[in-house]
Amino acid sequence: MAILSTQNLSKSYQMGEVEVKALVDTTFQVEKGEFVVILGPSGSGKSTLLNLIGGMDTPTGGQVFLRDEEITAYNERELTAYRRNKVGFVFQFYNIMANLTARENVELATEISHDPLDIDQVLEAVDLSQRQDHFPSQLSGGEQQRVSIARAVAKNPEILLCDEPTGALDYTTGISILSLLKRVNREMGKTLLVITHNGDIARIADRVIKMRSGQIIEDILEKNPRNVEDIKW
Amino acid sequence: MKKIDFMLLRMIKNSKSQFIAILVIIVTGIVVFTSMNMTSINMQNTVDDYYEENRFPHLFIQAEAFPAQQINRAALHPDVEQVMGRIHTDGRLITEDHNQRVNLQILSMNASDPLSWPTLLEGRLLQSPREVLVVEQFAKARNIRSQDELEIQINGVVYSMEVAGIIANPEHIYLVESAQSLLPDNENFGVLYVEHLFAQRVTGLAGNYNELLVSYQPDTDEDLLVDRLKDQFRPFGVTQVVTRETHLSNAVIDLELENLQLMANSIPILFLLVAGLILMMMLGRMVKRDRMKIGILKAIGYSNRAVLMHYVKYALAAGLLGGALGSVLGMALAGAMTRLYLDFFHIPMLTMNFYYSYIFIAMLLSATICILSGLLGARGVMKIAPADAMGSEIPKGGKRIFLENLTHFWKHLSFSQKLAIKNLFRNKKRSLFVLAGISLTFGMMTFTNSMTSVMDDMMVKHFTEFQTMGYNISLRQPVEKHALYDLPHIIEVDEMEGRLEVPFTLSNGHREASAVIIGLDPNSRFIHLKDPESLPLKVPTEGILLSQNMARLLDVDTGDWVEIQHYLPGRQNEMVQVAGQVKQTLGMNGYMDLDYMGALLFEKGLVNGVYLDSEDPFIQQKLFKASNISSVMSSKDSQAVYQEYMTMTYLSIAFMVLFSGVLGFAIVYNATMVNLSSRELEFSSLRVMGFTRKEIFQLILKENNILLGAGILLGIPVGRWFSYYSSEAFTTDIYHLDLSPTLNAYVLATIYTILFILLAQLATYRKIQKLDFLKALKSRES
Repeated sequence: MAILSTQNLSKSYQMGEVEVKALVDTTFQVEKGEFVVILGPSGSGKSTLLNLIGGMDTPTGGQVFLRDEEITAYNERELTAYRRNKVGFVFQFYNIMANLTARENVELATEISHDPLDIDQVLEAVDLSQRQDHFPSQLSGGEQQRVSIARAVAKNPEILLCDEPTGALDYTTGISILSLLKRVNREMGKTLLVITHNGDIARIADRVIKMRSGQIIEDILEKNPRNVEDIKW
Repeated sequence: MKKIDFMLLRMIKNSKSQFIAILVIIVTGIVVFTSMNMTSINMQNTVDDYYEENRFPHLFIQAEAFPAQQINRAALHPDVEQVMGRIHTDGRLITEDHNQRVNLQILSMNASDPLSWPTLLEGRLLQSPREVLVVEQFAKARNIRSQDELEIQINGVVYSMEVAGIIANPEHIYLVESAQSLLPDNENFGVLYVEHLFAQRVTGLAGNYNELLVSYQPDTDEDLLVDRLKDQFRPFGVTQVVTRETHLSNAVIDLELENLQLMANSIPILFLLVAGLILMMMLGRMVKRDRMKIGILKAIGYSNRAVLMHYVKYALAAGLLGGALGSVLGMALAGAMTRLYLDFFHIPMLTMNFYYSYIFIAMLLSATICILSGLLGARGVMKIAPADAMGSEIPKGGKRIFLENLTHFWKHLSFSQKLAIKNLFRNKKRSLFVLAGISLTFGMMTFTNSMTSVMDDMMVKHFTEFQTMGYNISLRQPVEKHALYDLPHIIEVDEMEGRLEVPFTLSNGHREASAVIIGLDPNSRFIHLKDPESLPLKVPTEGILLSQNMARLLDVDTGDWVEIQHYLPGRQNEMVQVAGQVKQTLGMNGYMDLDYMGALLFEKGLVNGVYLDSEDPFIQQKLFKASNISSVMSSKDSQAVYQEYMTMTYLSIAFMVLFSGVLGFAIVYNATMVNLSSRELEFSSLRVMGFTRKEIFQLILKENNILLGAGILLGIPVGRWFSYYSSEAFTTDIYHLDLSPTLNAYVLATIYTILFILLAQLATYRKIQKLDFLKALKSRES
């Protein structure tokens, strides 16, 4: 049984007199433990899709399921609980709290989740043990993104949703972050959905969902995904 | 501690200057609340205990003279607890300076009296007829100690007396000669106690008394008892009935405590509301600024309620901290304030308790207002959808403001003026808040500054416009008008005119008022009456003019009839028609034509005093031996007392100005800080375009100055309302306060308001200097 699935998922916005269809009848499935890349150019609807899957936005049509639970039928309280315990987010611009240290940023998430992981182990895993008492302003971009990943992972969610996690980073740092995400996927068994416009990143995925103009144009299952070290952009 | 609360602590740390500014307002409000409420309760308890312990009577009935047996009869009235008789007379102290007139009220007492007990502060009680007890204020002012010798003139005879002791008595907490004097003049007016027998002998009232003191049981119908006693004592010429309510000293204390209570419950609310509004504004801005942070918190699973509470806790922290600090400081201040009051009123005891419940009430009040402000200010949290918060905020749609339609006006404005005006309209709520804050500050300043003009009105104008005589001389016994022609043989007189001044009780149905009725020469050169519209008024040949407060008290209008209750035995009460009302700030009086009043109430042609102007420097000395003269009041001396009193008033006015200024400062400072933080990106762009920090400050200054101008204009009606409200609140039977602001008050209020607002803006200039504009540009948030 798929861990995550969507059924005719749609989202449209009203901008003045124009109706913008950000997502049109999107249907796909993700299996447990998969590393999925949603690939598409800017404006293709991938962020909208991620927001809907993450329970951060409500669709104008269709459904999202976590196993057999319909997330799109959740009320505000249930959505909060879903975000709290089932999914973790990693953002392009890290979005960590400027007035909390690296460790405190992670604790901020673990304090409210049901079954969090050990913070020290998570910080060790993301290679931040030595920098855990530093504030974001004292950390590099890569380190900040590590904090963001640690924060998402430490809650022990079933699915990790990553929105352009390397978008604001240089190549080397980007590769190290992808390695980390891959480790989280392989070693911790977390299902990962990564949004990117970078086609090279798609090569490390188990499944690639290509999008254009709010629609899925291809859903490819990679039999032999590349190692992170093998890709270049 | 939860990490979200850690964030809260750091949020407070990062906005510490604004947090402190809010804290100052809350602390000030709570300090006033706790200290004034506790002072008020402690004062009330102390006064109650003082009255109880010293057997302060409920009623004082003065008559011409009544035999001692009447006291026993009075004791038989139902509800009467204790009664006693005493002699109440005037005298004067003979000093080395014969030109100085020191008036005395001489009261009689014995150690076994059941009422009006003195508290002995120094020496001992009376043991022989040639001893006196001196009331503390007078003794202090004249440096009189026990065993001193005093020369006292009573009824023209000088007696040499020894001071047995210095005392305090609840009758003389606030020591003034009469309601007309209003202010204490402890050096020139004092109270002495002598033995009953001695007093009866020197006043020629052997075996008689002229004042009855009564205490009654709780729940007594005072009006009924007064009527019964008046009926009993009518044959003995009741001249005055004083209840506790109308007792001058008690009335002043009551009024003071009432005002204290009024201030204790109004000023703190004002301060807390302002703090609440500032908190609302700040939190509203914080939520906008923290849009992404809120989005993330929600994205990682924090509920709407948890995030909202995060901001509400910020407000609550200010409320609790301010409440706690304010209550502790207020408690400490309450002790000092109570002692200051006791010292001012010469109360020789203190019933002091700490009412810890006020800490609880203060904390609750402050926390409630702050929580409400927090909820209202941060309610925007609920609207932020996590998905939207991750992206950049959609800029608000721009639109023209209505002033742009006034093309002629608009095109004459410079670019920076247009920009400033547009910015004011961009955040209407904040602009309105600052506008309201400035208006409030200006209004309070106007009211505060009009206090000085009012005091001038009450005293200076009273002595220079309302009554312009140099001296008001009272006679012991009424004389024929022509007898006054002897006076210029004793002293130099420029101008003089006879007058009658007699206390009566006036009534209209069940409404009664005791006041002095003044019989005036219809063409008086010394008393200048004005009607409520400030138009000159003459005493009519028939009827009576009433001061406005008296007319209000009796509920009568022009054309109505009032009854004058005669105090002389065997004389009928007289009905007299109200011929008009007199605008009068000080005292409560009735005015009649001299001859008409004489004919109606006594005999035609009688006077019991004289108003006169004189350049004679030895007037007191020359009148010293005139046995029929009971008092010589000099307008100049009264004004000197007033001047002394004014120095104290200026101090409290300065305090009030500071109070209002702090409020204005905090409002403008916080609003400008919020303004700065919300427009960081905009100012950064201006910096990139080449604006200097100073130019950006000038831009904010321009916006604030528009609000300052508009705020001052709007503050005029606010000030007038404050003044009107206070006039109503402070007007008593003794004096009428017309606090209508004068031009001078407006000018001073404008200067002070500008000064405090300027200070607030200079404080924000320091912040502008420190702002890292380029860093702000790099940020995705605005």
